[in-house]
Amino acid sequence: MEASSVRTSQRRYPPGDLALWIFILAELSVFAVFFAAYAFTRANHVELFNTYQLTLDRNSALANTLVLITASYFVVRAVGAIRLNNHRRASQWLWAAVGMAMLFLLIKGHEYAHHLSEGINLSTNTFYMFYLSLTFFHFMHVILGMIVLIILGVRTGKGHYDAHNHTDIESGASYWHMVDLVWMILFPLVYVMQ
Amino acid sequence: MNTRNPEQHAPRGASLVYLLLCALTLFTWGVAVTGQSGLWASLLVLGVALLKGQLIGDWFMGLRGVSGLWRWVVLLWLLLIGSLVSAAFVMASGG
Repeated sequence: MEASSVRTSQRRYPPGDLALWIFILAELSVFAVFFAAYAFTRANHVELFNTYQLTLDRNSALANTLVLITASYFVVRAVGAIRLNNHRRASQWLWAAVGMAMLFLLIKGHEYAHHLSEGINLSTNTFYMFYLSLTFFHFMHVILGMIVLIILGVRTGKGHYDAHNHTDIESGASYWHMVDLVWMILFPLVYVMQ
Repeated sequence: MNTRNPEQHAPRGASLVYLLLCALTLFTWGVAVTGQSGLWASLLVLGVALLKGQLIGDWFMGLRGVSGLWRWVVLLWLLLIGSLVSAAFVMASGG
């Protein structure tokens, strides 16, 4: 057996459109600045941040983390399916990911509704200013990612893509994984680290 | 001759990574709900987050199949975030 036949083939560029990856790097840079700003501001207001962090719903945050990871997994399966030329299966996986994205938005929306009902807003204090703006910025990215997945789900179901032509799916997948990646940092930083 | 496409193994690898990500998430949540706090607990949770990020970059974003600088973009981003956040938390602890 040739060892090279089981080794993953190396490619020069990441999956998907390179221009989108430049956009992904730009978005990751913005979030990096946001995370650093949160952490260093916290350093000057430790008690405030520790106190109000405990008012957050960690169970909802856990659920949302698992939901996002699951959505990403479904997207990975979609890419795997289209690489095997199975556009119907790929479409199913994409729609499953859309379902997960909607669930995230519902859970997060419920959290926001709760905060609003308690009169919490951007002006309440520094912690809530960071928490609301950070999570809402991410929330908007989830909405965009979901729209991308919906478009891909429709086009994939109609047979627009196949094993040799699916750059759009890989690009959309990369964007979605970026949204998930950001939440992997956001969840512990904002909800857990004391 | 082995004609199997290596990417057919991808679902199994991705499935294992998915389960690992879920387990690491539950660990992080466990740290939170059991009231673990302090610098070392925070750095541990941060370390787990960075590991999760790297797993996503490698196995979900497909960067493990890429050669050159692009292979490391997510890792570099994670190291940057890790360094900055760690420094801030150390500062906050008075260390």
